[in-house]
Amino acid sequence: MGSNKFLMTAGSMLAATIFSASSAYAACATDGLPGTMAKPGGFPERSLAMIVPYGPAGGSGQVAQAMAQAVTELTGVSINRDHKPGGSGTVGMTAYLAMPTDGYTVLEHIDDASSAHALDSGRPNPAEDLIPLVISQITFSQIYIRTNEDRFTDWDSFVNWVKAQDGKATIANVSKEGSMERINMKYLTDATGMKIQQISFDKGAPRYGALAGGQVDALFEQPGDVRKFLDSGTFRPILTLLHSRPGVFADVPSLKDAGFDFEPLLRFRGFYVHKDAPADRVEWLQWAFQKGFCEPSYQAFNEKKFMNLIESYRDTAGAKELITGTIAQYRQVYKELGLEVK
Amino acid sequence: MDAYANFINGTITLFSDPMGILIFFGGVVGGMLFGAIPGVSMLTLAAILLPFTAHLSAEHGIMLFSVIYCTGVYGGAITAILFNIPGAPENAPTAFDGYAMTKNGEAGRAVGAAVMCSAIGGTVAAVIMMLATAPIANWAISAFGPPEIFALVFFGLAVAATVGAKTLWKGWLSILVGLLIAVVGMDPVGGIERYDFSMPYLLAGIHFIPTILGFFAVSEIFIQAEKKATGSFIAPKISVDFPSVAELIAHKVAVIRSIVIGFFCGVLPGIGATLAAFMGYNEAVRWSKDKSQFGKGKLEGVISSETANNAATGAAMIPLLALGLPGGALTAMMVGVFQMHDMEPGPLVFLNSPDLVWVVFAAMFFANLSILLVGYLETKTIINLLRIPFQFLAPLILLLATVGAYAVRGLVIDVLVMFIAGAAGFFLRRSGYSLAGIVLGLILGKIGEQTFAQAMQMLHFEWLGFLDRPIASALIAAAFLTILSSIYSAFFKKHAQ
Amino acid sequence: MGKLRPVHFFEAAFWLLLSSFLYVESFDFDRSIEIYKFGATAWPRTLILLMAFAALGQLLFQYYAGDSPTGSLGAATDDGAQEAARKAGHSSVSWYASTFLLLAIPFLYMRAPDLVGLMTTLDKQGVHLVKGVTAPILLVAYLVLMRGNHVGAILALPIFFAALLEDMGFYAMAPLFIIGVTLLMGERRLQWIALTIALIMGALLLTFVSLLYVGLPTGNLSPFYEFSNQLIILLQ
Repeated sequence: MGSNKFLMTAGSMLAATIFSASSAYAACATDGLPGTMAKPGGFPERSLAMIVPYGPAGGSGQVAQAMAQAVTELTGVSINRDHKPGGSGTVGMTAYLAMPTDGYTVLEHIDDASSAHALDSGRPNPAEDLIPLVISQITFSQIYIRTNEDRFTDWDSFVNWVKAQDGKATIANVSKEGSMERINMKYLTDATGMKIQQISFDKGAPRYGALAGGQVDALFEQPGDVRKFLDSGTFRPILTLLHSRPGVFADVPSLKDAGFDFEPLLRFRGFYVHKDAPADRVEWLQWAFQKGFCEPSYQAFNEKKFMNLIESYRDTAGAKELITGTIAQYRQVYKELGLEVK
Repeated sequence: MDAYANFINGTITLFSDPMGILIFFGGVVGGMLFGAIPGVSMLTLAAILLPFTAHLSAEHGIMLFSVIYCTGVYGGAITAILFNIPGAPENAPTAFDGYAMTKNGEAGRAVGAAVMCSAIGGTVAAVIMMLATAPIANWAISAFGPPEIFALVFFGLAVAATVGAKTLWKGWLSILVGLLIAVVGMDPVGGIERYDFSMPYLLAGIHFIPTILGFFAVSEIFIQAEKKATGSFIAPKISVDFPSVAELIAHKVAVIRSIVIGFFCGVLPGIGATLAAFMGYNEAVRWSKDKSQFGKGKLEGVISSETANNAATGAAMIPLLALGLPGGALTAMMVGVFQMHDMEPGPLVFLNSPDLVWVVFAAMFFANLSILLVGYLETKTIINLLRIPFQFLAPLILLLATVGAYAVRGLVIDVLVMFIAGAAGFFLRRSGYSLAGIVLGLILGKIGEQTFAQAMQMLHFEWLGFLDRPIASALIAAAFLTILSSIYSAFFKKHAQ
Repeated sequence: MGKLRPVHFFEAAFWLLLSSFLYVESFDFDRSIEIYKFGATAWPRTLILLMAFAALGQLLFQYYAGDSPTGSLGAATDDGAQEAARKAGHSSVSWYASTFLLLAIPFLYMRAPDLVGLMTTLDKQGVHLVKGVTAPILLVAYLVLMRGNHVGAILALPIFFAALLEDMGFYAMAPLFIIGVTLLMGERRLQWIALTIALIMGALLLTFVSLLYVGLPTGNLSPFYEFSNQLIILLQ
């Protein structure tokens, strides 16, 4: 069965690959940090709140739940998650910035905050208006087809088939203008010269259902989100949007293999606190969230979500670097696209 | 697969586990209570419980939500009947005749009918669900793409326009208002901000739960308050005389018809249960010889919509479990429960966790049955809420609604939207427009625009592409027929009096 | 003029004005989307045109048939709302005017920082100050207006409550809200009002905060924020 074969590949490659952070399962990124830290001035003396600008079920909701659990295991401080979904994260961000900056409320956010700032500098810059505590998930995108597809079998035959359809081939994708998904697809279509109609699905389940049910020809997604379809052998990746091949996907061509030299955009999720929060409290939060990343429960969660295939951890400085670089890259693409960058 | 043996196994698993039994009865009582307390609904309870299911096993979590779904849909009928406050959109048609019956002093008969019909509809649907989920799933996954779903939404709107408003024009205007409210926020393709008037919170769009609470719960309080202020307030008459079994047998045609309609509408993702209730009611009127009595307290109105919406609960599990497509807000939260346990509802659930599926099926079967017993007992107590003097009941309902509206998304603007909808509802209800129509437009508007955009992209912006898809073209034809016949009868037929 | 009455023209004018307003506003988001040639405006504009069409259709129908229903099902005609309004005499222009003013109060509160912001730029502290000053002023305005318009006051009170929630929190505002509602509903016995507050707040806080850990709005302004958090520590 396809599923077994896939799982075996996954399992055997995990130990071998240099990309795998879980190969460093024994030696985790924040092992160097002290195991305990005194509460500065008694902070926190009550439970923390975490604003999550997305629903409880999606990728952000799940990582927020896993990280809150890890921090609680580590420190005994409970974290109440407050989901404020809407407007691609704008609503949660707005609510967060209106709150008191006493350090009792932290924010979960994804790369959407960076692209929003790139398009409109009036929006908060997550590297400057906020302090990143930790980035705990970084992942890449892939192109998927149905495993039982017979019109094409790999990336090259797919591109040829798409070109033969004269713009009638379809791929399911998130379609917000200027989003990570759309920009990466633009890179791909520009590099191959193929014309493919993207079909807009803003929710995950219908997007995957569209590929499984034969409504579309291909799917743009990140591996952690479609893992069950990969494990069951329903979907198969034909291209990894990275320049190297992560071990689990050793037989899937990378961008380099396919002959592309563009720099793909990554999806990342992390945790933030307001820049005006008291410095000693920020320091404690940094310790708790960075140390939380290496809690066994969190590591197990990241592994299940394929978040161990490339290094998922960034501390505050590393996060600022990643965010600033991402903003610069988005801004450049937006200008090339002729979007109005404010 | 031997469904019967699986069902027995599921039953044994369910009732041999003390924690399972506890959660089952907790769900039964919780769903009914939250459904039946005006201002909050099963959705409130589900939204509150969602984060806690992470501490339960996947089996228990899903089972809890499916039980809440079954009993909550019934519970929502209680408030629709007693207070004209449908607990969920699928209870809206129940209020047409149910509330009229309360005003006629027949609350007990209406509630009793809701108890029995919910139980019958739900139980029968649960049986069909067990037999049909797998085959239907295989067919629907490829037969129902965005063009078909859009066609279905269009058909649903055409039907809904003929229900609930004073004239056809007011029906359509109500639905169009709902559809336009759904436009607020970000457009479903490009994420472009529409009608946000520079208020970032409006980018989240306007959610249907606060809107329902505002239109039905809050505006009802306002109207009662006005009556009280002007001295025309009459405390509702309380009665607990249930309908006789003979009376229900007399309505057997309506019950069977509603089960069939409810089940087939319920299978459809996105709009199932609500459409089921409206269609069930609509057909009851269409088949009736004495149409003019509907809306004035006819028992058959309550029977038709309550049978249909509980029949839809079983049906809604089919797209959820087989395709991972939720049929409404509550089933959407069930997707969340699955995902918190690293599972995704879909064909794989049948392969990987057959035990879970059958425990859930068994739980839903027994939850629907238990409506008969627990519902009967609970109703006798809930109905006494009507005895609380209105000046004390009003702040309680308003604050419960505040918590209910806020808990869904954690946004204060939802509370604001709810109270604005309450004031708007106060004025709209004087004018012959249909609040239920606005809500349906709001719910279907998002799905409608999204699937329309997807369909157009898939058909390469060629309208005639719909004709190549038999299911889509049949549904669109049915929608146009509905519209034309309703316009014809509006102009040329004798007006109902 | 057939069976048309002034109210029918008013109704049609309302829908046509609303349609025009929404159509004009739609130019704000009239941007093309690369992968969807209908863009963000096609759908709402179609709905707007249908709305205008339905309003004219309704006017035409009313010309022939006046107010008679078209045999739609379960019509909302007899739910008592119209009758109650007629009995109360709440359909005069002055009643609508004072109701409109009452309903405007909460929006004035929410927009106050923007209005002041037109003259001077405000930081977070400044916004808080403006809100802290306008709230009592608007409360007095509300109390003055409500004396002549009981029902309008009932309509506006919950909206005012909701407008204050984000800044002042559920915990501090809910008891005041209960007092307001019970007073407006005609209750004057203080011990009954106190009992209502105790019972409702007790039930709500125990169920939602102690048992279910629902995070209700704490308010962003001092001292409401601190008050809410102290209460939460007590309850959890």
